[in-house]
Amino acid sequence: MDLAQLLNGLAYGALLMILSSGLAMIYGLRGVMNFAHGALYMLGAYLAYEVTQRTSFWAALVLAPLLLAAVGAALELGVFRRLQHRSHIEVGLVMFGAALIIERTIVLIWGDDTLPVKAPSALDGTANVLGTDYPAYRLLIIGVAAVMAVALVLWLKRSRTGLHIRAASHDTETAKILGIDVDRVSLVVVALGAALAGLAGVLAAPYFSVQPGMGQSILIMVLIVVVAGGVGSIGGAMVAALALGLIQTAGNVWIPSVAVLVPYLVAIAVLLWRPSGLAGKRVA
Amino acid sequence: MHKKLLAAAVPLMAVGAMTGCGSSSDSGSGGSGGDGAPLKIALIPPSGGPLAVFGKDSTTAWQFAADEANANGGVDGHKVEIVTSQTDGTPAATVRAARKATQGGARFISGVITSPENGALQQQLPSMNAISFNTFGKDDALTGKQCSANAYRTVQNTAMDVDAVAKSLEKLPATKWAIQAVDYATGRTAAKIFTAAAKQAGKQVVLTQYAPLNTTEFGSYITKIKNSGADGVFAIEFGADGVAFVNQGAQFKLFQGLKSVLGFNMVSEPLFDALGDKIEGFYNNIGYVHQLDNAKNRAFVAAWKAKNGGKDPYYVQADAYLGAQTLFEAVKKAKSVDPAKVKTALDSLSFDSIVGQVSIRPGDHQILRDSYLGQVEKQGSGLGWKVINTVPASETQPQADPSCKL
Amino acid sequence: MSTTAEQVPSEVPATDPAALLAPAPVGSGLDRRTVLRGLGLAVVVLVVGLFVPDVISDPTNMGIATDGVVLGILALSIGFLAHRSGLISLGHTAFYGASAYGLAIATTSWDWSPMQAIVFAVLGGTVLGLVIGAFVVRTPGVSFLVLTLAIGQALHQLVVQDSVRETTGAYDGLAVTWGADDKVAGIAQADIGNAATFWPLAWVSLVVVLVVLWLVGRSRFGRVLEAIRENEERARFSGFNTYVPRLIAFTLSSAIASLAGALFALKASFVSPDTLSFVTAGDSLIAAIVGGFATLVGPLVGGVVYIYAQSELSDSGNLQLFTGIALVVAVVFLRGGIVGAVTDGGRKLRTIVQTRKGAGR
Repeated sequence: MDLAQLLNGLAYGALLMILSSGLAMIYGLRGVMNFAHGALYMLGAYLAYEVTQRTSFWAALVLAPLLLAAVGAALELGVFRRLQHRSHIEVGLVMFGAALIIERTIVLIWGDDTLPVKAPSALDGTANVLGTDYPAYRLLIIGVAAVMAVALVLWLKRSRTGLHIRAASHDTETAKILGIDVDRVSLVVVALGAALAGLAGVLAAPYFSVQPGMGQSILIMVLIVVVAGGVGSIGGAMVAALALGLIQTAGNVWIPSVAVLVPYLVAIAVLLWRPSGLAGKRVA
Repeated sequence: MHKKLLAAAVPLMAVGAMTGCGSSSDSGSGGSGGDGAPLKIALIPPSGGPLAVFGKDSTTAWQFAADEANANGGVDGHKVEIVTSQTDGTPAATVRAARKATQGGARFISGVITSPENGALQQQLPSMNAISFNTFGKDDALTGKQCSANAYRTVQNTAMDVDAVAKSLEKLPATKWAIQAVDYATGRTAAKIFTAAAKQAGKQVVLTQYAPLNTTEFGSYITKIKNSGADGVFAIEFGADGVAFVNQGAQFKLFQGLKSVLGFNMVSEPLFDALGDKIEGFYNNIGYVHQLDNAKNRAFVAAWKAKNGGKDPYYVQADAYLGAQTLFEAVKKAKSVDPAKVKTALDSLSFDSIVGQVSIRPGDHQILRDSYLGQVEKQGSGLGWKVINTVPASETQPQADPSCKL
Repeated sequence: MSTTAEQVPSEVPATDPAALLAPAPVGSGLDRRTVLRGLGLAVVVLVVGLFVPDVISDPTNMGIATDGVVLGILALSIGFLAHRSGLISLGHTAFYGASAYGLAIATTSWDWSPMQAIVFAVLGGTVLGLVIGAFVVRTPGVSFLVLTLAIGQALHQLVVQDSVRETTGAYDGLAVTWGADDKVAGIAQADIGNAATFWPLAWVSLVVVLVVLWLVGRSRFGRVLEAIRENEERARFSGFNTYVPRLIAFTLSSAIASLAGALFALKASFVSPDTLSFVTAGDSLIAAIVGGFATLVGPLVGGVVYIYAQSELSDSGNLQLFTGIALVVAVVFLRGGIVGAVTDGGRKLRTIVQTRKGAGR
């Protein structure tokens, strides 16, 4: 595999990483698999289209995650908090329903057509990476993901809120006894998780095509990543996302005829081997 | 349950009442073929999903054809009536809608878009005593393995289009080709025929690779093409896949180093806006262009523009219109709207249409019409087609599909 | 999902025909009298149901009823597993689709008679269920859901692979054709798409499935399953083998899904990758939940309602929207689904109506 292919794997993995770390955070804290994560990602991409039309892509890169954070906060207040006494799977199913509602609403607003989102002209070209010409836009995705990963891990490990998140994710009841405001922590986590889904959507808009099926197809991949990475482990999800990006690319290069099966087979193998995922129950 | 049945009965009664008002003759005879009986056509397009827009455009064109015929006193005296019922695009729902429509007296069905829907519908047409016109789906199996005595296709099939592209190969400057194909019957067929044609034309195929349907990430494929030393790409990628391939290819500066980019079902009018200027100069197969120079087409385009805000018809609309013309011609020839008589007329139908002389091939019910190779060029403020080559059906696929047993 | 079980009414008037179709009251078993009464009722239901095509003369509604029963059987298989084992599957399309394809391949490619093909398809789907179940039933909660989803999607990808196009037709799908002289339950191929003709086959299958699920639910085995669902560890410490019962439940569930798949393929005379899609997996699970899988007939009701909605609401293109809303409403407000809400004495329904009236004033 040459350098360009390695970067291809990294770029795809980077996008999955941004998306799955948000999903893993929510899962770690609320114990709920957010089946609407693909729909939030899709919403991010459509908002990117709307904002880019009006102003610029860079504005979309800031605005869309902020708007998604608001959606996340609404979900926390309207769904997760109200239903926290329900079984986790029931809340997951509610989010499954929410995904169907969000996805159809997006189509009602923006239509069924594939929409164009132009990458900013500064990133239209290729850049030289160790002698290989590679699309600058994809390097941006890798860069953003790397910054996000480092910032997220540092924040979780060093900040007070991060400490509270880790405590609450590890054991909600004990955290409450210790005086941690779990509701507040949860609001932060769900809003942040949704914002990351939005960020992934914006980054994906000029990269993949913006169309109605985009949320559903990526949801399956991200579910696999999060569950295989270790339920609720952000670090595990990040590693699994990068690994899946690289494995998928390697599959496309070396065994193209069955490459499409690779993610499923890997996930099945991982889950049969370790039902609680690679990392087990660890937060970061 | 009572309420549900009642709720289901109300729209049915409404439809019944409407058809009663619509026709001056005795209603209820639906499709018996008597004098003045209406020509009832059921359109069953999907209401959502990526193909919904094509269903909508087909419906518009059928309605246009019906209005035009009715303005001229109907088809051989039969008033044309269109009933549209949208589905969610699943085969089972489409078949149910078709049964409902035939029960309401419609014996002619069109506007069905996807291959699985058409495949499922075609299996049940004989028992419904209905005839279908596929004006959109090009998959070979529909007039091959899955063909039906009651199903007619008035759009080119994949094999015809690929042959037309392959026969145009020498007009394209590239000599070393890479094939990027969707892993779908169309992609495999196209790659095979293209490779054989390339050999014959003294050109090389240096890489053939398949990407699964619904691929979003083309980076690894594009890198392989760049490393293959090809100076031309033959890309069989459609819908969102095609958009993703073109967008990512542009980011990789893939197309700048190539002499020819040849698409198959990849670029078309609805995607011109989404793809933008980067596809200028791309070649692609085309089934219809509004510039076709014949009297019937000029009249059609002029009438269409007058009714649709000056916009030219594109292939989906024109193909649906051609489907309507095929049915109308058959009704005139049969002098009846009885499906059995119309079917007999269809089986040996040949007529002058908006795409020139066309005929139905009796062996598999595939229409024989020209296919084209086009190149995207700037036209006015947007993009349009320049026709590079016209290949008649007699040169593309002269024989009926042997796997079709009618 | 233990909460849904609490929605089950423990007492139902014995004169109500629904009483025997309702789930087992806590502590009840299978004494001879109960079994005889249940079977007696089943025979009555079976016979009465055969006259449905005479009552619903409208072919469209008949089509909805027949397709609804077929989807209902699939939903029953998912609901049974969810209710008795607490395992929520997003991958029952694997058995449903495998069986549908099995039937299509056996009839079309191997020229088997439709009856042989049904047996082959259902057995094939069941064996697949046994094999997959052997690996997956240990996996808990969300992992189970994602694992079954991955398996179903892997099968979907496998079927559309070009290397198997000769066998499965890949994206083109596969027509189901059988000999002109062959008949299944007295139906020739040309008539099988006619809902009224197909109805007896669907109805008999449905009643058999309901009887089996009812017997299993009331049997000792059913209570073992529930004990495991409530607390797997406790059941294990009490000396139960917790693996085998869950595997049996999974296999039974996959057998029922396979039956639905075979019926679907017969009725449609056509099989496409749609039968294995994520959408089918999601919608059949939603049908089970919205109908209410804590009751015996709940998923069936869900299946029929889904097909009815698919038929009536598609014009707007908003089927997906309504499906989503129905799921949210069912989980958040009805909890026991439609049937749960109704058998609950309409308590919750009344509350909603009253609130609405109050809001109206």
